[in-house]
Amino acid sequence: MKPEISRVLEVCAIGLMGDVAPHVAPSYRQATVFSTAVILSSVREELDRIAERRVVENAALRALFADATSVVSDPGLRQRLESASAGSDTDYRISALDAANDALRALLIELHVQVESLDSDAARRLESEIWRELSKSTERRKLSLGAF
Amino acid sequence: MSELADRIADYARHRLGDAVERVDGVERIHGGASRETYRFRLHTRDAGGSRERRLILRRDPPGSLIETDRAIEFNAYRAFHGTSVPVPEPLWLEEDSRWLDHPFFVMEEIPDLEARPQMVVAPPYDAHAEKMGLQKWTILGEISRADPQERGLVGVMEGVSAEGAWERELSHWVGVIDEDELAPQPIVRAAIRWLRAHPPPPAQKIAVVHGDFRTGNFLYDTEGRIHAILDWEMAHLGDPLEDLAWGINRVWCWARDDRVGGLLPKPRAIRVWEEASGLRADPEALHWWELFSCVKGQAIWLSSAREFQDGKNQDPILALAAWMQVNAQDRAALELMGRLT
Repeated sequence: MKPEISRVLEVCAIGLMGDVAPHVAPSYRQATVFSTAVILSSVREELDRIAERRVVENAALRALFADATSVVSDPGLRQRLESASAGSDTDYRISALDAANDALRALLIELHVQVESLDSDAARRLESEIWRELSKSTERRKLSLGAF
Repeated sequence: MSELADRIADYARHRLGDAVERVDGVERIHGGASRETYRFRLHTRDAGGSRERRLILRRDPPGSLIETDRAIEFNAYRAFHGTSVPVPEPLWLEEDSRWLDHPFFVMEEIPDLEARPQMVVAPPYDAHAEKMGLQKWTILGEISRADPQERGLVGVMEGVSAEGAWERELSHWVGVIDEDELAPQPIVRAAIRWLRAHPPPPAQKIAVVHGDFRTGNFLYDTEGRIHAILDWEMAHLGDPLEDLAWGINRVWCWARDDRVGGLLPKPRAIRVWEEASGLRADPEALHWWELFSCVKGQAIWLSSAREFQDGKNQDPILALAAWMQVNAQDRAALELMGRLT
């Protein structure tokens, strides 16, 4: 699509903030227009990385699960980890990548609970890996409009 | 809005009789996410002549960010009106939906002031950040110092033991996350497990907890004076450290530096609160409540996303709040758990 989507969103957001919002009354509607403009700006920020961050994260989680299979003691969980780690993303629509990400992050919670209960050096190393991945996951999702 | 003005006028006549002439100037404003908020002018006439009063209507919406009891909010305003904790005067609480379709309450408007949180770091307000911070944390100390019995809030708000305050609050907000999350939340789930495994000491006292005491929920002027504490919709009885921890949460660091609420460095804010409240912020207990505040915050942002997604309330501010704060709240939780790399 040309002009580029990010450029269109940028122009629309600037227009809403600068040209439209100041002339809208009452203040509640003005704030709504302003919020809509900020939403467009956020979509613009997210747009370029929207598929990449999901693909990267899903791959990172599958790699983590592959490492975890030798550490966890629960056979059912181990089997689910093996199955998940053998998967890959073949459908790059956002809805499909999100569905995969939701399933992987649900499994990550299960793994995290199990690892916390294990008393071994390997479990502690894996736990550290889980935290590192969780920290990276917040970097991938970070938006510039947040206060932190 | 003229139909709403007429209906408000009918209600005012129900309260004040024929002295009510008319209602005008009805305008919806942003005022907390759980209720529709309107300002209006009430015109009355008595032996002394005509009077105009600027008032605020807070009405329950069909869906809201936080499901709360408007009677608790109204009674919290009533409890602190006329004390060292500045609040608008509450006038009428109406539970009967026949007047305005939903329950509501009416209170005084304190006009021509700023409330937006981001403005504390913008001119001319930023020059008064320290002054505002000292007032803000002193006022919170006054709230924490207050005796709920003397303020008439025992019986209005659900009682809780000093030992049980943390568990009740944690269970409540975990329940909200269980119900409203649209996607798995591994960070907040880890935080919840840690909180349950490391309970805090009993509360020093059972205090009035504002429930949402932060920059953004008070009115201030260009000289940095705070005129009113608003949005008592989540007020309850509990551990006073809950309010302190919520107010110093990282997600309210609007100046993007170490000043909590965009106003004062965290150690100073805590000292001011301790002096005003006469209570101690034990570091370990406060740490527990800070991490709890990340769980509570996440519950609110996830509910916001759910409300918008399900179409119960499609104010864009709900989508924006979820986009902006879910990630910031996760990062705040990671930082508190020493896991933000």
